Amino acid sequence: MDQTPLIRLADVSKVYHLESGDFTALNHVTLDIAENEFVAIMGPSGSGKSTMMNQLGILDVPSSGKLFIDGKDIAKITPLERTHMRRDVIGYIFQKFYLIPLLSAYENVEYPLILKYKKRDTTGKAAAVLKSVGFDEEMSSHRPNQLSGGQQQRVAIARALVNEPKILLCDEPTGNLDRKTGFQIMDILTGLHKEGKTVILVTHDPKIAEYAHRTIELEDGRVVPT
Amino acid sequence: MRDIFFDLSVRSVRLNFLRSILASIGIVIGVVAISSMGMLGANMQLSVKQQLSSDVNTIMISSDVVRTTSTAGVPATSQGIDKSTLNDITNAAGQNQVIPIHRTNTQFTIGSTDGRGSIYGLNPNDITKFLTIAQGENLKGGDDALVGPNIASNFNMNIGSRIKIGQNNVSVTRPSVRVVGILAARGFASDGINTDNAIIVPDTWYTDHYGDKDVYDQVNVILQNIDTINQTEAAIDDKVNRRTEVVRISDASSRLSSISSTLGTITTFILAIGSISLVVAAVSIFNVMMMSVNERIQEIGILLSIGTEKSEVRRMFLYEAFILGIIGAGVGGIASLVIGYSVVSAMIGNTTYFFLPESILYVPYGMIIGVVVCVVSGLYPAWRASNMDPIDALRNE
Ligand SMILES: Nc1ncnc2c1ncn2[C@@H]1O[C@H](COP(=O)(O)OP(=O)(O)O)[C@@H](O)[C@H]1O
Ligand SMILES: [Mg+2]
Repeated sequence: MDQTPLIRLADVSKVYHLESGDFTALNHVTLDIAENEFVAIMGPSGSGKSTMMNQLGILDVPSSGKLFIDGKDIAKITPLERTHMRRDVIGYIFQKFYLIPLLSAYENVEYPLILKYKKRDTTGKAAAVLKSVGFDEEMSSHRPNQLSGGQQQRVAIARALVNEPKILLCDEPTGNLDRKTGFQIMDILTGLHKEGKTVILVTHDPKIAEYAHRTIELEDGRVVPT
Repeated sequence: MRDIFFDLSVRSVRLNFLRSILASIGIVIGVVAISSMGMLGANMQLSVKQQLSSDVNTIMISSDVVRTTSTAGVPATSQGIDKSTLNDITNAAGQNQVIPIHRTNTQFTIGSTDGRGSIYGLNPNDITKFLTIAQGENLKGGDDALVGPNIASNFNMNIGSRIKIGQNNVSVTRPSVRVVGILAARGFASDGINTDNAIIVPDTWYTDHYGDKDVYDQVNVILQNIDTINQTEAAIDDKVNRRTEVVRISDASSRLSSISSTLGTITTFILAIGSISLVVAAVSIFNVMMMSVNERIQEIGILLSIGTEKSEVRRMFLYEAFILGIIGAGVGGIASLVIGYSVVSAMIGNTTYFFLPESILYVPYGMIIGVVVCVVSGLYPAWRASNMDPIDALRNE
């Protein structure tokens, strides 16, 4: 029997209904990603990379086609179950970090634990994960706007990791960082892949894409055959 | 351990401190309006009740027709309570005091000043059973008279003053009475005997000049025990109104309850006026909450995209509204005590009842209403925040 992979897109399309007519941002994409793959998604601006990441991140549902993540048909589960999958199965890392401005670095990492267990963390897990991504402990109580870009991205990675998700989605994680810091972040992601995470990375930069073991090219919402 | 969403709300309020405080001022005003108007109404009711209930142990019996004459010597034409009815009442009243009362309105002249007021004819022995003489002494008979404190001060009456009774008309010689005492103030008396503006003369003088011997305008029964009021009224009714409705029997308790229900209506009305200020406050809270939601669209996008439940986002904003409400209600509660106390003492002139539960409870009521109004005003903004599309919200700068 054919075992469903961790992620399966079967003929997935995403259509935006605009005043100027319908716009197909993802056009009949079929794709499997297995557990513990390290995949880079590349393509010109506007080719549908972020749209695809939003599907994988369950921030959106496909207009047509089927999307399975961790064995579940995303169209068939309730909105609350989708929310819980975002919390438990997926770690999302953004180009613009997107930390919660009113929370300290530590609280930003503790936050997903609170969402999951409905109480403050007493296990020391948030601090441990922050340490594991090389974040300076003395800065734990700083708010995001007091941190450099590299430090913010470390906090964001720690936040994505803290609930031990199977999948890490990284939408241009180095896009707002200088080259040196960018490579440091990529080293962290490589280490996480070695620990067993499935890493999906969107990038423009071929040097960054080299870290991945498989590259998917998108163009006008389609996968370019290799 | 504190809820992280509560912490987020506290920090948001702190970040926009000035704006939050300004919005809370609306709630402060609303709470003050409701509490102090409520307290004003309650204190008004309490003090009126107190005044009325001093002679609440009196049953009033009157013929339904109001009897007035304008001139001394002209008897009232309508029917009063006659001798046999009075006997029936006395029998039915048992041990209790029965006080027959003559009453009409009259013009009078003191010195060269003309006036108008009530004149009561009472048996001198009955007077001290329910009236207090503040100055001078009780009637002995003849042309002695007692006067109420208002009439006395308005017309400069003293012990020994002579008052001519009846219409000032050159062709008629009027009888006169001599003031022997001045009564203590009674206010609005619930036994129907309002003596503050009245002249009280012996029943003999009254019937000599107005006629009406053995016909009374009102009979009061003063009860020894207030608990027997219903059975005594029933006994009188049974005896006197056996075949037809001869007299009207009433007591202050029904009057008391009708006055307090009127005052209750007035209180409700002024409370309703106070509530208008809460509507204004609700609008300002709503406005500030919408600003808070609109400024934090991207933050809401972050929260939703990393797995925050809609109900948790709603909770965060409802907490924020709640905090604004708590600030407003707290300050409003304290201000209500101060302002309420001043208003009550200025408008009622009596703060004896201010700290009684009936009055002071309006402060917590007002505070609770203030908080509830805030939270209700936050419902729509919170709902809006929780239903944002995370992708659109994230893109918002
Ligand atoms: N919410 C939206 N409404 C309409 N069009 C959209 C929306 N989001 C993305 N698009 C369009 O879809 C296309 C793909 O966008 P995106 O996935 O963000 O591209 P990439 O990330 O590869 O640059 C773009 O042309 C973009 O304008
Ligand atoms: Mg993009």
